[in-house]
Amino acid sequence: MKEMFIILFSVIFVDNFVLSKFLGICPFLGVSKKLNTAMGMSMAVILVMGMSSAITYPINTFLLVPNGLEYLRTIVFILVIAALVQSIETIIKKLLPPLYDALGVYLPLITTNCAVLGVVLLNISNSLSFWGSVVNGVGAGIGFMLAMVLFAGVRARLEKADVPKFLRGLPITLIAASIVSVSFMGFKGIIEKLFA
Amino acid sequence: MPINILIVLSSFSFREILIPVAILGGIALVMGLLIALISRLFSVKTDELQVEVMSALPQANCGACGFTGCEGYAKWLASGGQDMGKCPVGGPSLPITLGKILGVVAQASQPPVAHVMCKGTNENTSKRYEYTGTKTCASAHAVFSGPNSCTYGCIGFGDCVEACQFDAIDIVGGIAVINELKCKSCEKCVPACPKKLIFMIPKNHKTYKVECRNHWPGGETRKHCKIGCIACQRCVKVCPTLAIHMDNNLAVIDPEKCINCGKCFEVCPTKSISTPENIYMHL
Repeated sequence: MKEMFIILFSVIFVDNFVLSKFLGICPFLGVSKKLNTAMGMSMAVILVMGMSSAITYPINTFLLVPNGLEYLRTIVFILVIAALVQSIETIIKKLLPPLYDALGVYLPLITTNCAVLGVVLLNISNSLSFWGSVVNGVGAGIGFMLAMVLFAGVRARLEKADVPKFLRGLPITLIAASIVSVSFMGFKGIIEKLFA
Repeated sequence: MPINILIVLSSFSFREILIPVAILGGIALVMGLLIALISRLFSVKTDELQVEVMSALPQANCGACGFTGCEGYAKWLASGGQDMGKCPVGGPSLPITLGKILGVVAQASQPPVAHVMCKGTNENTSKRYEYTGTKTCASAHAVFSGPNSCTYGCIGFGDCVEACQFDAIDIVGGIAVINELKCKSCEKCVPACPKKLIFMIPKNHKTYKVECRNHWPGGETRKHCKIGCIACQRCVKVCPTLAIHMDNNLAVIDPEKCINCGKCFEVCPTKSISTPENIYMHL
Protein backbone atom coordinates (compact mmCIF):
# COMPACT_ATOMS: atom_id res chain seq x y z
CA MET A 1 0.00 0.00 0.00
CA LYS A 2 2.78 2.38 0.96
CA GLU A 3 4.56 1.44 -2.25
CA MET A 4 1.49 2.43 -4.28
CA PHE A 5 1.33 5.75 -2.52
CA ILE A 6 5.02 6.39 -3.24
CA ILE A 7 4.50 5.56 -6.92
CA LEU A 8 1.47 7.86 -7.09
CA PHE A 9 3.13 10.77 -5.30
CA SER A 10 6.33 10.57 -7.33
CA VAL A 11 4.66 10.35 -10.73
CA ILE A 12 2.33 13.26 -9.98
CA PHE A 13 4.74 15.69 -8.34
CA VAL A 14 8.37 14.63 -8.41
CA ASP A 15 8.58 13.02 -11.83
CA ASN A 16 5.69 14.83 -13.47
CA PHE A 17 5.41 13.60 -17.04
CA VAL A 18 5.07 17.04 -18.59
CA LEU A 19 7.12 19.21 -16.28
CA SER A 20 9.95 16.87 -15.30
CA LYS A 21 10.12 14.30 -18.07
CA PHE A 22 9.05 16.70 -20.87
CA LEU A 23 6.74 14.15 -22.48
CA GLY A 24 3.40 15.09 -24.00
CA ILE A 25 4.32 18.71 -24.72
CA CYS A 26 2.11 18.83 -27.85
CA PRO A 27 -1.25 18.52 -26.09
CA PHE A 28 0.15 20.45 -23.12
CA LEU A 29 0.71 23.53 -25.28
CA GLY A 30 -2.13 22.90 -27.68
CA VAL A 31 -5.08 22.29 -25.38
CA SER A 32 -4.18 24.28 -22.26
CA LYS A 33 -5.62 27.52 -23.58
CA LYS A 34 -9.13 26.95 -22.27
CA LEU A 35 -9.78 25.31 -18.92
CA ASN A 36 -12.71 23.14 -20.01
CA THR A 37 -10.91 21.61 -23.01
CA ALA A 38 -7.84 21.11 -20.80
CA MET A 39 -9.95 19.17 -18.29
CA GLY A 40 -11.60 17.09 -21.03
CA MET A 41 -8.28 16.24 -22.62
CA SER A 42 -6.76 15.32 -19.23
CA MET A 43 -9.67 12.99 -18.44
CA ALA A 44 -9.18 11.26 -21.77
CA VAL A 45 -5.43 10.94 -21.12
CA ILE A 46 -5.98 9.49 -17.60
CA LEU A 47 -8.36 6.92 -19.05
CA VAL A 48 -6.04 5.98 -21.92
CA MET A 49 -2.94 5.78 -19.73
CA GLY A 50 -4.65 3.68 -17.07
CA MET A 51 -6.20 1.26 -19.52
CA SER A 52 -3.02 0.99 -21.62
CA SER A 53 -0.99 0.15 -18.52
CA ALA A 54 -3.52 -2.50 -17.53
CA ILE A 55 -3.62 -4.12 -20.96
CA THR A 56 0.06 -3.93 -21.87
CA TYR A 57 1.26 -5.51 -18.60
CA PRO A 58 -0.25 -8.98 -19.27
CA ILE A 59 0.71 -8.79 -22.95
CA ASN A 60 4.30 -8.11 -21.98
CA THR A 61 4.50 -10.63 -19.13
CA PHE A 62 2.66 -13.54 -20.74
CA LEU A 63 3.19 -13.11 -24.46
CA LEU A 64 6.34 -11.16 -25.18
CA VAL A 65 8.83 -12.03 -22.45
CA PRO A 66 8.31 -15.86 -22.39
CA ASN A 67 8.89 -15.95 -26.16
CA GLY A 68 11.88 -13.62 -26.09
CA LEU A 69 10.06 -10.99 -28.12
CA GLU A 70 11.09 -7.89 -26.18
CA TYR A 71 12.07 -6.26 -29.47
CA LEU A 72 8.40 -6.23 -30.48
CA ARG A 73 7.44 -4.19 -27.42
CA THR A 74 7.24 -0.78 -29.08
CA ILE A 75 5.15 -1.83 -32.05
CA VAL A 76 2.77 -4.00 -30.04
CA PHE A 77 2.21 -1.26 -27.48
CA ILE A 78 1.52 1.31 -30.17
CA LEU A 79 -1.01 -1.09 -31.69
CA VAL A 80 -2.80 -1.52 -28.37
CA ILE A 81 -2.82 2.22 -27.61
CA ALA A 82 -4.12 3.10 -31.08
CA ALA A 83 -6.97 0.61 -30.81
CA LEU A 84 -7.83 1.84 -27.32
CA VAL A 85 -7.98 5.48 -28.35
CA GLN A 86 -10.12 4.67 -31.39
CA SER A 87 -12.55 2.79 -29.15
CA ILE A 88 -12.65 5.59 -26.59
CA GLU A 89 -13.31 8.12 -29.34
CA THR A 90 -16.26 6.07 -30.62
CA ILE A 91 -17.66 5.69 -27.11
CA ILE A 92 -17.31 9.38 -26.30
CA LYS A 93 -18.98 10.30 -29.60
CA LYS A 94 -22.03 8.29 -28.58
CA LEU A 95 -22.23 8.95 -24.87
CA LEU A 96 -20.89 12.50 -24.47
CA PRO A 97 -21.45 14.45 -27.72
CA PRO A 98 -20.55 17.90 -26.29
CA LEU A 99 -17.17 16.57 -25.15
CA TYR A 100 -16.65 15.06 -28.59
CA ASP A 101 -17.45 18.41 -30.21
CA ALA A 102 -14.97 20.15 -27.97
CA LEU A 103 -11.98 17.88 -28.52
CA GLY A 104 -12.88 15.40 -31.27
CA VAL A 105 -9.81 16.24 -33.31
CA TYR A 106 -7.43 15.94 -30.39
CA LEU A 107 -8.30 12.36 -29.42
CA PRO A 108 -6.37 10.71 -32.27
CA LEU A 109 -3.45 12.95 -31.30
CA ILE A 110 -3.26 11.12 -27.98
CA THR A 111 -2.39 7.98 -29.93
CA THR A 112 0.91 9.35 -31.13
CA ASN A 113 1.49 11.10 -27.85
CA CYS A 114 4.87 10.10 -26.50
CA ALA A 115 3.57 10.42 -22.96
CA VAL A 116 1.25 7.44 -23.35
CA LEU A 117 3.89 5.21 -24.92
CA GLY A 118 6.34 6.59 -22.37
CA VAL A 119 4.27 5.52 -19.39
CA VAL A 120 3.81 1.93 -20.60
CA LEU A 121 7.49 1.54 -21.42
CA LEU A 122 8.50 3.09 -18.08
CA ASN A 123 6.24 0.63 -16.25
CA ILE A 124 8.41 -2.13 -17.65
CA SER A 125 11.79 -0.50 -17.21
CA ASN A 126 10.90 0.19 -13.56
CA SER A 127 9.79 -3.44 -13.18
CA LEU A 128 6.46 -2.53 -11.63
CA SER A 129 3.83 -5.08 -10.66
CA PHE A 130 0.42 -5.12 -12.35
CA TRP A 131 -1.22 -2.80 -9.84
CA GLY A 132 1.94 -0.74 -9.69
CA SER A 133 1.68 -0.25 -13.45
CA VAL A 134 -1.96 0.74 -13.29
CA VAL A 135 -1.34 3.18 -10.45
CA ASN A 136 1.63 4.58 -12.35
CA GLY A 137 -0.52 5.00 -15.47
CA VAL A 138 -3.40 6.68 -13.72
CA GLY A 139 -0.99 8.77 -11.67
CA ALA A 140 0.84 9.91 -14.80
CA GLY A 141 -2.52 11.02 -16.19
CA ILE A 142 -3.32 12.87 -12.98
CA GLY A 143 0.09 14.57 -13.13
CA PHE A 144 -0.67 15.51 -16.72
CA MET A 145 -3.99 16.98 -15.60
CA LEU A 146 -2.32 18.93 -12.82
CA ALA A 147 0.22 20.40 -15.23
CA MET A 148 -2.48 21.30 -17.79
CA VAL A 149 -4.83 22.93 -15.29
CA LEU A 150 -2.02 24.90 -13.67
CA PHE A 151 -0.79 26.05 -17.04
CA ALA A 152 -4.28 26.98 -18.21
CA GLY A 153 -4.41 29.34 -15.25
CA VAL A 154 -1.00 30.76 -16.10
CA ARG A 155 -2.05 31.30 -19.70
CA ALA A 156 -5.23 33.05 -18.63
CA ARG A 157 -3.07 35.51 -16.69
CA LEU A 158 -0.70 35.86 -19.64
CA GLU A 159 -3.59 36.98 -21.87
CA LYS A 160 -4.12 40.05 -19.71
CA ALA A 161 -0.44 40.78 -19.05
CA ASP A 162 1.55 43.40 -20.92
CA VAL A 163 3.94 41.19 -22.89
CA PRO A 164 6.72 42.78 -24.99
CA LYS A 165 5.92 42.52 -28.67
CA PHE A 166 8.80 40.20 -29.60
CA LEU A 167 7.72 37.68 -26.95
CA ARG A 168 3.99 37.56 -27.68
CA GLY A 169 2.39 34.23 -28.48
CA LEU A 170 4.55 31.11 -28.48
CA PRO A 171 7.78 32.58 -26.98
CA ILE A 172 6.22 33.78 -23.74
CA THR A 173 4.19 30.58 -23.48
CA LEU A 174 7.33 28.46 -23.65
CA ILE A 175 9.12 30.69 -21.15
CA ALA A 176 6.17 30.43 -18.76
CA ALA A 177 6.12 26.65 -19.18
CA SER A 178 9.80 26.41 -18.33
CA ILE A 179 9.33 28.54 -15.21
CA VAL A 180 6.48 26.26 -14.05
CA SER A 181 8.77 23.31 -14.72
CA VAL A 182 11.53 24.87 -12.59
CA SER A 183 9.04 25.40 -9.78
CA PHE A 184 8.25 21.68 -9.79
CA MET A 185 11.93 20.96 -9.23
CA GLY A 186 11.20 21.95 -5.67
CA PHE A 187 9.69 18.51 -5.18
CA LYS A 188 12.94 16.70 -5.85
CA GLY A 189 14.25 14.74 -2.92
CA ILE A 190 10.88 14.68 -1.13
CA ILE A 191 10.36 10.97 -1.70
CA GLU A 192 13.65 10.00 -0.07
CA LYS A 193 13.23 12.34 2.87
CA LEU A 194 9.55 11.73 3.50
CA PHE A 195 9.21 7.99 3.05
CA ALA A 196 12.66 6.59 3.69
CA MET B 1 22.56 -14.46 -55.94
CA PRO B 2 19.56 -16.71 -55.30
CA ILE B 3 21.81 -19.24 -53.59
CA ASN B 4 23.04 -16.60 -51.08
CA ILE B 5 19.47 -15.69 -50.22
CA LEU B 6 18.56 -19.34 -49.75
CA ILE B 7 21.50 -19.84 -47.41
CA VAL B 8 20.52 -16.80 -45.32
CA LEU B 9 16.89 -17.84 -45.23
CA SER B 10 17.62 -21.39 -44.16
CA SER B 11 19.68 -20.16 -41.18
CA PHE B 12 16.47 -18.97 -39.50
CA SER B 13 14.52 -21.63 -37.78
CA PHE B 14 10.93 -21.64 -38.93
CA ARG B 15 9.77 -21.37 -35.34
CA GLU B 16 11.63 -18.09 -34.80
CA ILE B 17 9.69 -16.39 -37.56
CA LEU B 18 6.33 -18.03 -37.07
CA ILE B 19 5.81 -17.24 -33.40
CA PRO B 20 6.40 -13.45 -33.53
CA VAL B 21 4.31 -13.19 -36.70
CA ALA B 22 1.54 -15.18 -35.06
CA ILE B 23 1.62 -13.12 -31.88
CA LEU B 24 1.73 -9.76 -33.65
CA GLY B 25 -0.92 -10.87 -36.13
CA GLY B 26 -3.06 -12.25 -33.34
CA ILE B 27 -2.93 -9.04 -31.34
CA ALA B 28 -3.70 -7.00 -34.46
CA LEU B 29 -6.68 -9.23 -35.23
CA VAL B 30 -8.06 -8.99 -31.69
CA MET B 31 -7.67 -5.21 -31.66
CA GLY B 32 -9.29 -4.92 -35.07
CA LEU B 33 -12.28 -6.96 -33.92
CA LEU B 34 -12.52 -4.85 -30.77
CA ILE B 35 -12.68 -1.64 -32.78
CA ALA B 36 -15.25 -3.12 -35.16
CA LEU B 37 -17.40 -4.33 -32.26
CA ILE B 38 -17.31 -1.03 -30.43
CA SER B 39 -18.10 1.02 -33.51
CA ARG B 40 -21.12 -1.25 -34.07
CA LEU B 41 -22.35 -1.02 -30.48
CA PHE B 42 -21.77 2.69 -30.12
CA SER B 43 -22.78 3.91 -33.55
CA VAL B 44 -24.27 7.39 -33.77
CA LYS B 45 -26.94 8.17 -36.33
CA THR B 46 -25.21 10.50 -38.76
CA ASP B 47 -26.91 13.40 -40.42
CA GLU B 48 -26.80 12.58 -44.14
CA LEU B 49 -26.41 16.17 -45.14
CA GLN B 50 -23.46 16.51 -42.77
CA VAL B 51 -21.83 13.45 -44.32
CA GLU B 52 -22.27 14.90 -47.81
CA VAL B 53 -20.86 18.28 -46.78
CA MET B 54 -17.96 16.55 -45.02
CA SER B 55 -17.03 14.64 -48.19
CA ALA B 56 -16.75 17.94 -50.09
CA LEU B 57 -14.35 19.48 -47.56
CA PRO B 58 -10.57 19.12 -48.03
CA GLN B 59 -10.09 16.94 -44.87
CA ALA B 60 -7.07 18.98 -43.80
CA ASN B 61 -8.42 19.51 -40.26
CA CYS B 62 -6.40 22.71 -40.01
CA GLY B 63 -8.96 24.71 -38.04
CA ALA B 64 -8.62 27.84 -40.21
CA CYS B 65 -12.42 27.99 -40.43
CA GLY B 66 -12.57 28.40 -36.68
CA PHE B 67 -14.21 25.05 -35.97
CA THR B 68 -12.68 21.87 -34.52
CA GLY B 69 -11.62 20.15 -37.72
CA CYS B 70 -13.55 19.69 -40.96
CA GLU B 71 -16.24 17.72 -39.10
CA GLY B 72 -16.99 20.79 -36.97
CA TYR B 73 -17.48 23.00 -40.03
CA ALA B 74 -19.58 20.32 -41.75
CA LYS B 75 -21.82 20.04 -38.69
CA TRP B 76 -22.30 23.80 -38.52
CA LEU B 77 -23.14 24.06 -42.21
CA ALA B 78 -25.55 21.13 -42.04
CA SER B 79 -27.39 22.69 -39.09
CA GLY B 80 -27.93 26.04 -40.74
CA GLY B 81 -24.60 27.85 -40.79
CA GLN B 82 -24.63 30.32 -43.61
CA ASP B 83 -21.04 31.18 -44.43
CA MET B 84 -19.75 28.79 -47.09
CA GLY B 85 -16.54 30.71 -47.66
CA LYS B 86 -14.82 29.86 -44.38
CA CYS B 87 -12.43 27.27 -45.77
CA PRO B 88 -9.28 28.76 -47.36
CA VAL B 89 -7.86 25.33 -48.18
CA GLY B 90 -10.81 24.40 -50.38
CA GLY B 91 -10.04 27.06 -52.92
CA PRO B 92 -12.47 29.34 -54.80
CA SER B 93 -14.57 26.44 -56.11
CA LEU B 94 -15.48 25.08 -52.67
CA PRO B 95 -18.27 27.57 -51.79
CA ILE B 96 -20.00 26.78 -55.10
CA THR B 97 -19.81 23.02 -54.41
CA LEU B 98 -21.10 23.54 -50.89
CA GLY B 99 -23.88 25.72 -52.23
CA LYS B 100 -25.02 22.90 -54.52
CA ILE B 101 -25.02 20.39 -51.64
CA LEU B 102 -26.82 22.68 -49.22
CA GLY B 103 -29.25 23.95 -51.82
CA VAL B 104 -28.31 27.55 -51.11
CA VAL B 105 -27.21 30.06 -53.69
CA ALA B 106 -23.75 31.26 -52.68
CA GLN B 107 -24.22 35.00 -52.54
CA ALA B 108 -21.57 37.64 -52.42
CA SER B 109 -21.16 38.74 -48.82
CA GLN B 110 -22.55 42.17 -48.10
CA PRO B 111 -20.70 44.67 -45.95
CA PRO B 112 -21.55 44.52 -42.25
CA VAL B 113 -23.77 47.11 -40.54
CA ALA B 114 -23.14 48.91 -37.28
CA HIS B 115 -25.06 48.10 -34.10
CA VAL B 116 -25.05 49.66 -30.63
CA MET B 117 -24.70 46.93 -28.01
CA CYS B 118 -26.60 48.56 -25.19
CA LYS B 119 -30.25 48.62 -24.09
CA GLY B 120 -29.72 50.77 -21.03
CA THR B 121 -32.45 53.30 -21.71
CA ASN B 122 -33.60 55.89 -19.18
CA GLU B 123 -36.13 53.33 -17.98
CA ASN B 124 -33.58 50.58 -17.36
CA THR B 125 -30.90 52.71 -15.68
CA SER B 126 -30.77 55.67 -13.33
CA LYS B 127 -28.52 58.70 -12.95
CA ARG B 128 -25.76 58.80 -10.36
CA TYR B 129 -25.29 62.54 -10.52
CA GLU B 130 -26.57 65.52 -12.41
CA TYR B 131 -24.24 66.29 -15.27
CA THR B 132 -24.14 69.95 -16.28
CA GLY B 133 -21.09 69.94 -18.52
CA THR B 134 -20.77 69.94 -22.32
CA LYS B 135 -23.32 67.60 -23.79
CA THR B 136 -20.99 65.27 -25.67
CA CYS B 137 -20.35 61.62 -24.81
CA ALA B 138 -16.58 62.10 -24.72
CA SER B 139 -16.85 64.94 -22.19
CA ALA B 140 -19.33 63.14 -19.99
CA HIS B 141 -17.23 59.98 -20.12
CA ALA B 142 -14.24 61.99 -18.86
CA VAL B 143 -16.19 62.90 -15.71
CA PHE B 144 -16.15 59.61 -13.71
CA SER B 145 -17.31 57.59 -16.73
CA GLY B 146 -20.54 59.49 -17.25
CA PRO B 147 -23.70 60.14 -15.21
CA ASN B 148 -25.46 56.80 -15.84
CA SER B 149 -25.75 54.13 -13.17
CA CYS B 150 -24.09 51.74 -15.61
CA THR B 151 -20.64 53.05 -16.47
CA TYR B 152 -20.29 50.64 -19.39
CA GLY B 153 -23.50 51.75 -21.06
CA CYS B 154 -24.54 54.33 -23.62
CA ILE B 155 -24.41 57.94 -22.41
CA GLY B 156 -26.79 59.15 -25.08
CA PHE B 157 -25.38 62.56 -25.93
CA GLY B 158 -24.95 61.56 -29.57
CA ASP B 159 -21.26 61.59 -30.51
CA CYS B 160 -22.11 58.74 -32.87
CA VAL B 161 -25.05 60.71 -34.32
CA GLU B 162 -22.59 63.52 -35.11
CA ALA B 163 -20.16 61.08 -36.72
CA CYS B 164 -22.76 59.52 -39.01
CA GLN B 165 -23.12 61.45 -42.27
CA PHE B 166 -26.00 59.25 -43.48
CA ASP B 167 -28.38 60.13 -40.67
CA ALA B 168 -28.66 56.49 -39.65
CA ILE B 169 -28.42 56.96 -35.87
CA ASP B 170 -31.05 58.35 -33.49
CA ILE B 171 -31.19 58.86 -29.73
CA VAL B 172 -34.29 57.10 -28.45
CA GLY B 173 -35.08 56.77 -24.75
CA GLY B 174 -31.62 58.07 -23.83
CA ILE B 175 -29.55 55.62 -25.89
CA ALA B 176 -28.29 55.55 -29.47
CA VAL B 177 -30.12 53.29 -31.93
CA ILE B 178 -28.81 52.58 -35.43
CA ASN B 179 -31.16 52.14 -38.39
CA GLU B 180 -29.67 49.19 -40.27
CA LEU B 181 -31.44 50.11 -43.49
CA LYS B 182 -29.70 53.48 -43.61
CA CYS B 183 -26.28 52.29 -42.44
CA LYS B 184 -23.67 52.44 -45.20
CA SER B 185 -20.96 50.50 -43.32
CA CYS B 186 -18.49 53.39 -43.29
CA GLU B 187 -17.65 52.52 -39.63
CA LYS B 188 -17.11 56.18 -38.64
CA CYS B 189 -19.41 55.75 -35.62
CA VAL B 190 -17.29 52.96 -34.16
CA PRO B 191 -14.37 55.11 -32.91
CA ALA B 192 -16.75 57.95 -32.02
CA CYS B 193 -18.21 56.04 -29.08
CA PRO B 194 -16.05 56.48 -25.94
CA LYS B 195 -17.60 53.36 -24.39
CA LYS B 196 -16.78 51.25 -27.48
CA LEU B 197 -20.36 50.03 -27.74
CA ILE B 198 -20.69 49.98 -31.52
CA PHE B 199 -19.91 46.73 -33.33
CA MET B 200 -20.21 45.68 -36.96
CA ILE B 201 -22.53 42.73 -37.52
CA PRO B 202 -23.24 40.86 -40.80
CA LYS B 203 -26.01 42.40 -42.89
CA ASN B 204 -27.57 39.55 -44.85
CA HIS B 205 -26.94 36.97 -42.14
CA LYS B 206 -29.21 37.70 -39.21
CA THR B 207 -27.79 37.03 -35.77
CA TYR B 208 -28.88 37.17 -32.14
CA LYS B 209 -26.99 39.72 -30.07
CA VAL B 210 -26.14 40.27 -26.42
CA GLU B 211 -26.94 43.97 -26.21
CA CYS B 212 -24.78 44.68 -23.20
CA ARG B 213 -21.11 45.33 -22.59
CA ASN B 214 -20.79 45.33 -18.82
CA HIS B 215 -18.13 43.20 -17.15
CA TRP B 216 -19.64 43.20 -13.68
CA PRO B 217 -20.71 39.98 -11.97
CA GLY B 218 -24.46 39.39 -11.79
CA GLY B 219 -25.11 40.92 -8.39
CA GLU B 220 -23.35 44.16 -9.26
CA THR B 221 -25.07 44.42 -12.65
CA ARG B 222 -28.52 44.15 -11.10
CA LYS B 223 -27.83 47.26 -9.04
CA HIS B 224 -27.08 49.37 -12.09
CA CYS B 225 -29.23 48.21 -14.98
CA LYS B 226 -32.44 46.16 -15.24
CA ILE B 227 -31.60 44.66 -18.60
CA GLY B 228 -27.87 43.95 -18.34
CA CYS B 229 -26.03 40.65 -18.79
CA ILE B 230 -25.61 38.96 -15.40
CA ALA B 231 -23.22 36.24 -16.64
CA CYS B 232 -25.52 33.40 -15.60
CA GLN B 233 -24.15 31.44 -18.63
CA ARG B 234 -27.50 29.82 -19.46
CA CYS B 235 -27.07 30.98 -23.05
CA VAL B 236 -23.58 29.49 -23.29
CA LYS B 237 -24.89 26.10 -22.20
CA VAL B 238 -27.90 26.03 -24.49
CA CYS B 239 -26.28 27.20 -27.75
CA PRO B 240 -26.11 24.25 -30.20
CA THR B 241 -23.21 25.67 -32.21
CA LEU B 242 -21.14 26.87 -29.22
CA ALA B 243 -21.39 30.39 -30.67
CA ILE B 244 -21.48 32.05 -27.24
CA HIS B 245 -18.47 32.48 -25.00
CA MET B 246 -17.89 34.37 -21.78
CA ASP B 247 -15.59 37.36 -21.78
CA ASN B 248 -15.04 38.39 -18.15
CA ASN B 249 -18.65 38.20 -16.91
CA LEU B 250 -20.14 39.12 -20.28
CA ALA B 251 -21.70 36.75 -22.82
CA VAL B 252 -20.61 37.38 -26.40
CA ILE B 253 -22.30 35.83 -29.43
CA ASP B 254 -20.16 35.20 -32.50
CA PRO B 255 -22.38 36.33 -35.41
CA GLU B 256 -20.53 34.03 -37.83
CA LYS B 257 -21.50 30.96 -35.78
CA CYS B 258 -25.07 31.93 -34.85
CA ILE B 259 -27.69 29.85 -36.67
CA ASN B 260 -30.68 31.89 -35.45
CA CYS B 261 -32.31 29.15 -33.41
CA GLY B 262 -33.29 31.57 -30.64
CA LYS B 263 -32.57 29.23 -27.72
CA CYS B 264 -30.35 31.82 -26.03
CA PHE B 265 -33.12 34.42 -26.25
CA GLU B 266 -35.55 32.01 -24.56
CA VAL B 267 -33.34 31.29 -21.57
CA CYS B 268 -31.93 34.78 -20.93
CA PRO B 269 -33.41 35.88 -17.57
CA THR B 270 -32.79 39.61 -18.00
CA LYS B 271 -33.68 39.70 -21.71
CA SER B 272 -30.26 41.13 -22.40
CA ILE B 273 -30.16 39.11 -25.64
CA SER B 274 -32.04 40.54 -28.61
CA THR B 275 -33.50 38.81 -31.64
CA PRO B 276 -32.33 39.83 -35.11
CA GLU B 277 -35.60 41.67 -35.78
CA ASN B 278 -35.91 43.19 -32.33
CA ILE B 279 -34.14 46.42 -33.18
CA TYR B 280 -36.63 48.91 -31.83
CA MET B 281 -38.72 46.71 -29.59
CA HIS B 282 -36.70 47.24 -26.43
CA LEU B 283 -37.79 50.84 -26.12
